[in-house]
Amino acid sequence: MSAARDYPPPPDLIEGRVAWVFGDDFDIDLVIGVENIKSYDAEFLRSKVMQAYDPTFADRVRPGDVIVGGRNFGYGHPHYPPMVALRDLGIAAVLAESFSPGFWRGETYNGMPLLTVPGITDAVTTGDDVSVDWRKAAVTLADGARLHGTPPSDRVVRVIEAGGSLKLLLAEHSRV
Amino acid sequence: MGSTITEKILARAAGTDAVQAGDNLPARPDYMIAYDFPGYTDVMFRQMHDDFGIRTLSDPERYVIFIDHMLTKGNEKEQEVHQVTRDWCDFYGIELHEARGIGHQVMAELGYALPGTFLIHFDGHISGAGAFGALGWGVRRDLLEAWVSGQIFLDVPATTRFELDGEFAPGVDSRDLVHRIIADHGADGCAHQVMEYAGPGARAMSIDRRQGLCGMAMFTGAVSAVFEPDEKALAYANRVARKEFTPLLPDADAEYTAVHHYDLSTITPQVVLPGSARSAHTRSAAELTGTPVTKAFIGSCASGRIEDIRAAALVLDGRTVASGVELNVVPTSDAVHRQAEDEGLLDVLRKAGAQIARSSCDFCFGYQKPLQPDENCISTGVLNISGRMGSTAANIYMGSAYTVAASAVAGTITAAEEVSRS
Repeated sequence: MSAARDYPPPPDLIEGRVAWVFGDDFDIDLVIGVENIKSYDAEFLRSKVMQAYDPTFADRVRPGDVIVGGRNFGYGHPHYPPMVALRDLGIAAVLAESFSPGFWRGETYNGMPLLTVPGITDAVTTGDDVSVDWRKAAVTLADGARLHGTPPSDRVVRVIEAGGSLKLLLAEHSRV
Repeated sequence: MGSTITEKILARAAGTDAVQAGDNLPARPDYMIAYDFPGYTDVMFRQMHDDFGIRTLSDPERYVIFIDHMLTKGNEKEQEVHQVTRDWCDFYGIELHEARGIGHQVMAELGYALPGTFLIHFDGHISGAGAFGALGWGVRRDLLEAWVSGQIFLDVPATTRFELDGEFAPGVDSRDLVHRIIADHGADGCAHQVMEYAGPGARAMSIDRRQGLCGMAMFTGAVSAVFEPDEKALAYANRVARKEFTPLLPDADAEYTAVHHYDLSTITPQVVLPGSARSAHTRSAAELTGTPVTKAFIGSCASGRIEDIRAAALVLDGRTVASGVELNVVPTSDAVHRQAEDEGLLDVLRKAGAQIARSSCDFCFGYQKPLQPDENCISTGVLNISGRMGSTAANIYMGSAYTVAASAVAGTITAAEEVSRS
């Protein structure tokens, strides 16, 4: 819980490429490897991120890129450092067929847009350009085709706009 | 349209007449529970005090802290972690329950898990409160929202109903049922929903079995699980209740995403392969017969209750743990430990060669006697991801207390029915 990063809220329209497409029931800890899930060290995480999938990942990802998941993305016992490793590189959203509830809640708290977009895994491959209107869960593909997911609730929109739940709660409830 | 148990509990907690699945609204938990763990409670207390400037709580009785992790090394680090917690609880006037057992069990014994109540925790195994007709929801870091505001924004979950008939065969229990449900419906079969258990098979099931079953709800993707509170649940709750409560039952015309039927007498021993509890990892114990084990563990918030220890004693009575196998048994609470001692069960286990440890969470997360590389462990713990109980190169299989005890005797994965025939 400690040593998390402070990431700014996403732009209204997230524009980037699909950095990777994961399968169903994906355990987010595998992004950095289960041996490494207790570190928040930026250089360490950069050296481990996606090594098992694509050793060039850290060098080719650009801010605004997104990752795509299948059904039940985040299944398992999700720790926070894997998403820190991805967000450090600039990954701006996760688009998935569906999310595992524990992962969804933990990363929503951290202000990460997690958008349920049915059909996304068949519609894109790694490297595709996408633009994402995250408030509407609307995804526009390179050929202009659009996918419509489930828009986040008003409360979750406010959490993401604030840059995470802690900042929203501080704005609402701080007595300092 | 009628309401599910969950909709009724959340309507009550939201202070409104009725809510429907899909509504997003703030609800007020009856109890906001946590165990102390570095990076969790210490950070939350500091945030509440320093960042939010909260110096006094208007209702400290809704905050509940357990010390149940990091109890077994007795080193300075443990003392520092727990002292920070003691100091904060003292400062805010929060009741602290220290070293009385695993919080998810002790909360029941101390009368927090009451029919119709809404409990939250950062840890998802709070769902075990469903055994009593309470809604226990693991909300991760959002616990802070409730701590500083008294409420938490939630999407009211839909419900899948499980109608249970019959009773478990000898050597089978609710641990086998939950893995059967995952195998049948997938690791996201109840995603973002609550599992509602009812029917003659549910009513026949003991409280211990219900707790074990509800506590594992997250592995179906569910946010929680809840039994219709019946005479057994009410008898328990009335004995321990620390406040008034109103049992809530679903309406006959409540709307469910799905209704599944299970005849408990048809459930067979299940074992989960190392890595995760996903459906593709669920096997009939019989399929894995012969897989060698070096460690066996009965305990955690999903097991280690008196019925689990009785099950182990039944299997181990007059037998001995196989050479080369270490069987560790950890009662879920001090109260369970005392009862098991009084019933003579622990003597049976000791005589068989089992080691009995003081109640804590420490085995289940690899803090106490961590597994070494290449070890195979058969466990009633809640989680079998790589590295959970020690080395990332150790393998954790999961099954019921019957299966773990039988496997400890055989030295290989074995269902209890095989042992009883030999």
